[in-house]
Amino acid sequence: MHRLLSRTVSAARTRSLCVYECCVLPAKIDNVSRPFTGVGANTICTCTVRRCEKKDDAIPSNQGEATNLDTETKTTQLQEESLEANDGGSTQQQRNVKAEQVLSKPSQVKTDGAKSGKKSLLDLLGAMKVEVTSKRKLKNLKMKQSFESAVQYKSKSAAMESTISMFQKANVQASAQSEVLDPDLVAAASAAASTLLNRSRAESELLKQLRQRKALTEAQKKGDINNLGVLIADMKVGKTPGRQNAWPADQIRFDDDGQGYTRDRGITSELANVRKRRNIFPTKRLNIFSPTTDEQRGDSALAKPTLWDLDFANELSLTTNQMPRNGFEEMIQWTKEGKLWHYPINNEIGLEDEASVPFNEHIFLEKHLEEGFPRQGPVRHFMELVVAGLSRNPYLTVQQKKEHISWFRDYFHQREAVLNEADVYLN
Amino acid sequence: MAAPCRHVGQHIKRNGRFLRINLDQLFASRGFRWTSALQQQGAEVYKESKEPIVIPRKKSWSSEAVLEALASTVHRDPTAYPYQFQDDSYLSPRTSTEFKLFSLSQESGRAAAKYFVNNNPKFFTKDFAEPHIPCLMPESVVLRLEEVSEEALKERINLRKVSAAVEMYDQLLQAGTSVSVETTQELLDLICLYCDKNPVQEGAPEVEDTEEAGEETKRRKPKGRRAADHLKTSWKENNNAERIFNLLPERDSRCYSALIRGMVKHGAYTKAFSLYTDLLNNRLSADVHTFNALISAVPDVRDKFNERWDLITELLNQMNEQKVRPNLLTFNSVLKALRRCGFLAKTYAPQTLNEMKALGIAPSLATYDHILAVFYKSGSSGPNNTDILQDMLTELEGTSFTCQDPHDVFFFSSAMRICLDSKDLELGYKVHSLLEVGDNWRLLGDSHQQSVYYGRFFSLLCMMEHIDVVLKWYSRIIPSLYYPNPQGMRDLLQALDTDGRLDLLPTIWKDIKTLGHDNKVDLVEELLSLMAREEHSPEMQESFAACALDVRSVFDSRSSTEWSTSSLSHITTLLLRANKLQQAWDMLLLFKAQNRVPSEVLLNNFLSVCQSSGAPKRAVELVQLAAAFCLPATPVLAKTALAEFQLTDEQRSILSEFEAAPEKETE
Repeated sequence: MHRLLSRTVSAARTRSLCVYECCVLPAKIDNVSRPFTGVGANTICTCTVRRCEKKDDAIPSNQGEATNLDTETKTTQLQEESLEANDGGSTQQQRNVKAEQVLSKPSQVKTDGAKSGKKSLLDLLGAMKVEVTSKRKLKNLKMKQSFESAVQYKSKSAAMESTISMFQKANVQASAQSEVLDPDLVAAASAAASTLLNRSRAESELLKQLRQRKALTEAQKKGDINNLGVLIADMKVGKTPGRQNAWPADQIRFDDDGQGYTRDRGITSELANVRKRRNIFPTKRLNIFSPTTDEQRGDSALAKPTLWDLDFANELSLTTNQMPRNGFEEMIQWTKEGKLWHYPINNEIGLEDEASVPFNEHIFLEKHLEEGFPRQGPVRHFMELVVAGLSRNPYLTVQQKKEHISWFRDYFHQREAVLNEADVYLN
Repeated sequence: MAAPCRHVGQHIKRNGRFLRINLDQLFASRGFRWTSALQQQGAEVYKESKEPIVIPRKKSWSSEAVLEALASTVHRDPTAYPYQFQDDSYLSPRTSTEFKLFSLSQESGRAAAKYFVNNNPKFFTKDFAEPHIPCLMPESVVLRLEEVSEEALKERINLRKVSAAVEMYDQLLQAGTSVSVETTQELLDLICLYCDKNPVQEGAPEVEDTEEAGEETKRRKPKGRRAADHLKTSWKENNNAERIFNLLPERDSRCYSALIRGMVKHGAYTKAFSLYTDLLNNRLSADVHTFNALISAVPDVRDKFNERWDLITELLNQMNEQKVRPNLLTFNSVLKALRRCGFLAKTYAPQTLNEMKALGIAPSLATYDHILAVFYKSGSSGPNNTDILQDMLTELEGTSFTCQDPHDVFFFSSAMRICLDSKDLELGYKVHSLLEVGDNWRLLGDSHQQSVYYGRFFSLLCMMEHIDVVLKWYSRIIPSLYYPNPQGMRDLLQALDTDGRLDLLPTIWKDIKTLGHDNKVDLVEELLSLMAREEHSPEMQESFAACALDVRSVFDSRSSTEWSTSSLSHITTLLLRANKLQQAWDMLLLFKAQNRVPSEVLLNNFLSVCQSSGAPKRAVELVQLAAAFCLPATPVLAKTALAEFQLTDEQRSILSEFEAAPEKETE
C-alpha cells in the first residue's frame, strides 16, 4: 500500500492529471486502490496545493512524509482548503474516478448525488467510507493495516468521524458474524456478497454455508477424538500389569527341570532317536486320486457360503475353546466380531472409505471450479479461497468436499441473473 | 513394566527376523534375475551394478497385529482365576462344578440378553456408537413381510423359520408363482439342515420342550440336551424336504446334495444311499460334501468290515471319475469310517494318510486322532507300542494348528490317554509341548475335554515323575487349568507317599477342602490313614493333629456324613501322638455316639499317653468306656492301669471291679 501510495505521489509530482490515471488502475488493484482514492485524492490535492506554494523538487520526500507523518492537522486543513479551492475540478475528478471504479449500484447512485458542492462531497466520502469498510475485508492483512493508518491520520477530521464510527461498527458487525470463521474467508464471502443485490442477506447465506461446513469439520474432528477416548476407555489398561511378570522365570527353570529329567532316560531316548529316523508307515497309498487336479479349486472358493457351511463353521467354533485368556485377547475377539474399533496400526485408521482415494483428490480441488464458475471476478476469487481451505481440511471426505463446492455452484448459478446484471459474473 | 517391554522387544525382534528372511528371499530372486540378464550384456556392466537396489516390500499388518503383539506379552498366571471370571469376584469358581455352573450361567446370561434385545428392538433404538456398530444393535428376528412373495420366503429362510418358510413356499405354489431355483435350493438346505424342525433360537426359554416332551424325555433330561436333540431330530418319511424335492420339476445336484446331507445328518443312512443311486441314474454328479456325508454313513449301511471298505473305495473311485476333488473332511470321514472296520483299518489307515499327503492335503489333528484310535484300541495295546505316536509327534513338533474338523478336539486327550496307558512320561511331555505351541490350546476343546486331558496328564505325572516336579506342575495347572477329581487327588497322595513327602499332607488337605472333595469319604480316609500310618517328628505330628481336628470339624459340620471306625481311630491316633488328650477323649466319645467300636490298640495307645502325661483320672474313664463297649480287652486295660498309675482308692476300687468282672463273664 505504501508503495502504491508513493507511486501515486510520485506520479502526482510530475503531473496532477497523472493521479487520475494512477487511480484508474487495472482491475486487480482496483478494489485495493478504491479506498485509497478517497484518501489519495485528498492527499494529492494537498500535494498540488503545496506544490503551488513551494514548487520545490524536494517535495516528493516531504510528500512521502506527509502521507505518513506530518499529515494529520495539515492534511485535514489542507483537505478542506483543497476542497474549497478545487471545488469544481477535484470533485469532478473524483466523480469520474467513482464512475469508473465503483462497481456496485448504491455507490454509483451516491456518486451522482455528489455533484453538489462540499457538503455533498462529504456525504459522498462518508458513503465511500462505508463502502470501503465492506470492501476492506477483501484485502489481506497488510493492506488492512496500511488502510487503518490511512484512516488514522484522518481520524481527527470532524467530517470523517461518523465514517469512522460506521467503519468500526461494520468491523464489529463483521467479526460478530464471522464468529469462528477465518476473517479472510469472511472478507471474501462479503466481497462476493457485495456483488449481489441484497448484500447482507447474500453475505449471511454464504457465511452460513461456510459455518455449517466448519461445524461439520469440527464435529468430525471431535468425533475422532471421542472415538479415541472410547477406545482407550475400553482398553482396561490398568488391569493386567500386576501379573504379567509373575511366572516366566519359574517357567524357564521348570523347563530346565523337564530337560534334566528327560536326560536321565539316557539309553531309552537314544533308542527313540534311532526310531525317529525310519517312518513307521509304509509309503504305499490308495492310488485312487491323481495328485494334479487343481483346476476345480477356484469355483468352490468363489461360491457364496451355503447354510451348511455356516453350520459347519458354527460347529467348529463351538467345539474349540474360544475363551480369551487376557484382556488383549478379548479385545482381539471383539475386533473380529466388529464390536470394537480397530486398534490403530497406522495413521490411516478409520479411513476405510477413503482408503482408495489418492491424496491429490483431496489437495487439488481447482479442477472442480472448471465447470459452473466464472473464470474471473470476485466469485471466482471467493471460490478459490474456499477450495484452498478445503484442500487443507483433513476431516472431510472427498465426497463431502465436492458437495461443498457444488453447493456454491448451485448458489451462484441461481443468482446468475443478478450477478450478470452487476457485471461480475464473468463467464 | 520392564517385563512386558522386554516381551514386546522380543516380539519385534522375532518379526524383524521374519522380515529379514523375506528380504533375503527377495534379494536372492532379484539378484538372480540381475545376473542372468547381465551375463548376456558382458562383464563390464556387471562390475558397475554389483549391488542392485532392493526396495523392500510393504509390510501389511492385520488390524489385530498390535493387539496380538500385546497379548503375547501377557502370560498365564497360574494363581489367578480364568480371565472370564475376573470381572465378577462373586463368580470365582473353586471347583469344577462351580466352573461349569458359572461359565454356563455367564453364557446363558448373554444369550438371554441377546434374545431379549432381539425380540424387543423397540427398547433398544438408541445408537450410542459413532461410527455405527451393527452387531450391537438388535437383529431383526421377527418376520416383517406378510404378503405372499418370494421376498417373504427369502426372509423366512434367512431367519431360519423352517415351518413358516415351508408354509410360504406352499402358498406361493398354490398361487401359481414360480420360485427361483436359488431360493428353492436355499429352502431345501434349510429344511434338511434342521430336519424339518424349527431351530431353537439362542437364549429362548425352552418352554416348548417341556410341553412337547412326555414323561419319557423328562426322565432322560439329566443326560443333557444332546440326547433330547437327538431324539427330536430323526428323519421322517416323506417330510417337507422330500415332498418339495419331489415337487421340483428339475432336480440338480445341489438339491440332491442337500437332501443326502440332511438324511445322513439325521440318521436316514439307507435312504441317503438310495437317493445317491437315484442321482447317478439321472446322470448327475455329486459334490464333495455329498461324498463326505455318504462316506461317513458307510459303517451304518454295511455290516461286514470288507463290505464297508469296498463301499468306501467305490465311493472314492466314483469321486475320481466325476472329477470331484476330495478335501480334508473326505479323508477324515474315510478314517473315521475305518475305525469301525476292525482289522482292515490297520492296513488302510496309513495308506489313506499317504494318499492325503500325495494330494497335498495337510492332515488335521482329527486325522491323527483317527489313526491313533485305529492303532491303539484301549486296553489292547502292549506297554511299549508307542512308535506311531512317537513318529507323529516328531512330525508335528512345533506346528500350530487351527480347527478344521470338529473332531480335532479329541486328539490331545486321546494322545495323552495312550501316554498314560503306556506310562511313557517323555511322550507325555511331548504331547504337552505340542499343546503349548501357538494357539493349539484352543484345540483342547471345551472344559470337559480339558479336564479329561489334564486329568490324564496329571495322573501320568503322579505315576512316573519325581515328586518335586509333580508339585511344580501341581502349582502350575491346579486350579487355574484343572480341577482334579478325587482320583487325581488320590494319585497325588500316592505320589507323596512314594517319595516320602508326607509332610505336605496338611497343605494337600487344604486344597482338597477348597476343591470341594472333603465330602469324599474314601479320599479323606486315605489321607488320614497316610497321616496316621507312621510316627513322625513332633512338629509334623503337631501339624497333622491340627489337620485331623480340621477334618473332624468338617465332618461335624456336615451332618449327613457317617464316621467310619477307621477314620475315627486315625484321628484319635493323630491327636494322641500330638498329646492332645482332651481332644482324643472327645473322639473316643464320638465313637460311642456313632455306635463305632474302638480297637484295642487305640485304647492301649490312649492309656500309655495318659500315663506319660500323668492323667490317672482319664485312664479310669477310659477303662470305664471300654467296659461300656464291652470290649474283651477291658480287664487287661484295667490291670495295666492299676499297675502303672498313681490312683486314689476310689479309682482303684472301680478299676479292680472291671479287672474282675469280665473275667467272670468269660469264665
